Amino acid sequence: MTPKMSFSDILASTLHDTKNSLGILFNNLENIIAGCREKNCAQYQDFYLLQYEIKRLNHSLIRLLSLYKAEKSQLTMNVDFHSARELLEDVAVQHEILLASRGIQVDIDCDGGLFHAMDRNLIMGVIDNIINNAFRYTKSAVRLSAAVDGGYFVIRVEDDGDGYPPSMLFNEQQDPNFSGNVDFSTGSTGLGLYFSTMVAQMHVNRDQSGFISIYNGGTLGGGVFSIYLP
Amino acid sequence: MVKQEATANINLKMKKVLVVDDFFNFRLTMKNMLRSLGIMYIDDAANGEEAIKKLAARKFDIILCDYNLGPGKSGQQVLEEAKYRGYINYAGIFIMVTAENTLEMIMGAMEYEPDDYLMKPFAKEVLEKKIKSVTLKKENVRDIEKAIIDSDFDHALRICDELIAQSPANLAEIMKLKGEVLLKKGAYAEAAEFYDKVLTMGNMTWARLGRGRADLLLGRYEDAKNRFEEILAQNNKVIAAYDELARTYLKSGQPEEAQQVLMKAAAISPRALLRHKTLGGLAYRNEDYTTAETSFRAAVVHGKHSCFKTTSDYTQLAKSMVMRDALQESLQVLGQASREFPESPDTRLHLSAAESLVYTKMNKPAEAKRALAQAHKYAQDLAGDLPSAVALDLAQAHLLAGDVEKGTDIIRGVIGANHDNDDVLNTIRIVFKETGMPEKGEKIIKDTTEDIMRLNNEGVDLARRGKLAEAIDYFEKAAARLPENKIINANAAQVLMLFMKQNGPDEERLSKASSYLERVRRIDGAYADIPMLLSMYRELASREVSS
Repeated sequence: MTPKMSFSDILASTLHDTKNSLGILFNNLENIIAGCREKNCAQYQDFYLLQYEIKRLNHSLIRLLSLYKAEKSQLTMNVDFHSARELLEDVAVQHEILLASRGIQVDIDCDGGLFHAMDRNLIMGVIDNIINNAFRYTKSAVRLSAAVDGGYFVIRVEDDGDGYPPSMLFNEQQDPNFSGNVDFSTGSTGLGLYFSTMVAQMHVNRDQSGFISIYNGGTLGGGVFSIYLP
Repeated sequence: MVKQEATANINLKMKKVLVVDDFFNFRLTMKNMLRSLGIMYIDDAANGEEAIKKLAARKFDIILCDYNLGPGKSGQQVLEEAKYRGYINYAGIFIMVTAENTLEMIMGAMEYEPDDYLMKPFAKEVLEKKIKSVTLKKENVRDIEKAIIDSDFDHALRICDELIAQSPANLAEIMKLKGEVLLKKGAYAEAAEFYDKVLTMGNMTWARLGRGRADLLLGRYEDAKNRFEEILAQNNKVIAAYDELARTYLKSGQPEEAQQVLMKAAAISPRALLRHKTLGGLAYRNEDYTTAETSFRAAVVHGKHSCFKTTSDYTQLAKSMVMRDALQESLQVLGQASREFPESPDTRLHLSAAESLVYTKMNKPAEAKRALAQAHKYAQDLAGDLPSAVALDLAQAHLLAGDVEKGTDIIRGVIGANHDNDDVLNTIRIVFKETGMPEKGEKIIKDTTEDIMRLNNEGVDLARRGKLAEAIDYFEKAAARLPENKIINANAAQVLMLFMKQNGPDEERLSKASSYLERVRRIDGAYADIPMLLSMYRELASREVSS
């Protein structure tokens, strides 16, 4: 008799499979959009929305796989010294076209000489998720910035929408020792918050660990998400 | 739009690009994307074998290769073979395309790393940004890599320092290279200091590994062990830390512990061929023939499509099986090898010698003799130029067949080329032990080694007393006698160059020195004196040109 697989392993392997299918779907759509643009047909804007949903699904699956690995203690850090500007540019280029299709502009504010030690894939996963959200709630702009603030390296995602609802505000004072719990009642957004907090806390340096903050206001007057790394 | 000042003006038009993927649709999509970036020369391959053929026929600037290529060579094996055979040089760009998180699995588990990874699925813009940023990075790394290939480490360090001062986007990569160059150059204390400084900026695994390697090379084995074990305690998937830890155990005379560590690494990264070979050899030396057999079998299985596949994988598997009395199966393994390798004298020689060993164990002296006679014939065709593994199997076959003189003659030749190589000397000890002559063998090793050292020291003494012309004469004769001995060849080059330093360079001696240096590099590219000798040579050569 074949040994019984655990349900979580079945789930993980199904996730991998689904992700691969999504990949093929994404690329096929990419071809269709390219063809559509050439012929100047009207629907190609709608196709972007399809692509957006595929991306959202893809990011959800990546997050789920990461959480699964964290649960099984298999999620390991791959920390290296990265250029903050390059990281933000790499994130932006993935979202730019889609955001532009809605008239949303992405701006980056970051010193080219700013570097920090971090797990690039995990941090990019966190920011991707926030930008995906911003796509739905911002009006005309998304601003990505990185800087050093109070001894921490901080990446911010700001928009000019109506801001986060009160239930989602989190550690508004940007306190490193904030001990509030993540509220899961908000569904998938709660999961995103949980993931972001986990990634921030995994970054440890000289006995300090990272944290996140969500408040409203900032330079664009909308939602402000920040992830602080020691 | 996001500003991309630095990458905006990179021109991709004239780049030659190869796309390797087993899915037709994906290749088509990729080619369309590349064409829309203005790239004109695009070729594709549906599997690893086809990719290698195309890479051999033409120089490509950029290779986009999927990691999973179905049966046959994997993307990693394409990369290894292309680099190993020189199809991609330091200027070529290799981007590994992976589906989702295989990334983590393959990172840090290999001999050669790609320039970057690209995760499927990706849009055209992402591909463009990736190609441009890798091209830009490659531009500043290229000169460093070229200097490293030329063993001009001081020049490499100068470029590293200049770049680090400018904080380019790939600062981490430059710092990584700087640490490696310091270690290669033999500046271990300086390397340790450099890594300590890097580690104040963040807890990077590569810097911790480098710091441990510096300890290992400085002979601080306990410190090195602690560092590697700490890395593994935090992340037990850092394959390189296992390899370094095993190396440290071996250096401090603990081969059993080294074997245990490599077994863990092999379990985590089951496809890494070279580690299976090392582990097999180590287990055989530790007389753990079960592990030896498992490892060499894994080497045979995973080496099927690899450029690192050798007849030794099969003969060592066969020998491990003989030790476990699986004689018939052992013959089958050699039969399989003779079908897998081309009909060339060196492979036939090796397999016939191994066959002879097995037949002796099977108590079939007639067959053993016939196989040995065949091996001997091939050996004569090859005029003595044998890799040490092959020569030692042949020697062992002679010894077992009772021809002690021929066997020990071959072994003396192997010692002559490797008198300072502990690995080879240990293998020779095993051969003597298995042929029932451990004491006599130890004496042969001792006498031959002492002979060579005396020979070398006499030459060095001549040079030290300033009799350089005589020293040149002396070392040229010694090098003719021991053409595969790196120390003798290095000294032949050095006395020639010392002579020219005093009397001015001349074309004839420069060319002689250069060919001795080439020999040293071929025998052992990592020999510690190479950078010093090469910088001496460069200086003399430039004086000759300017005079």
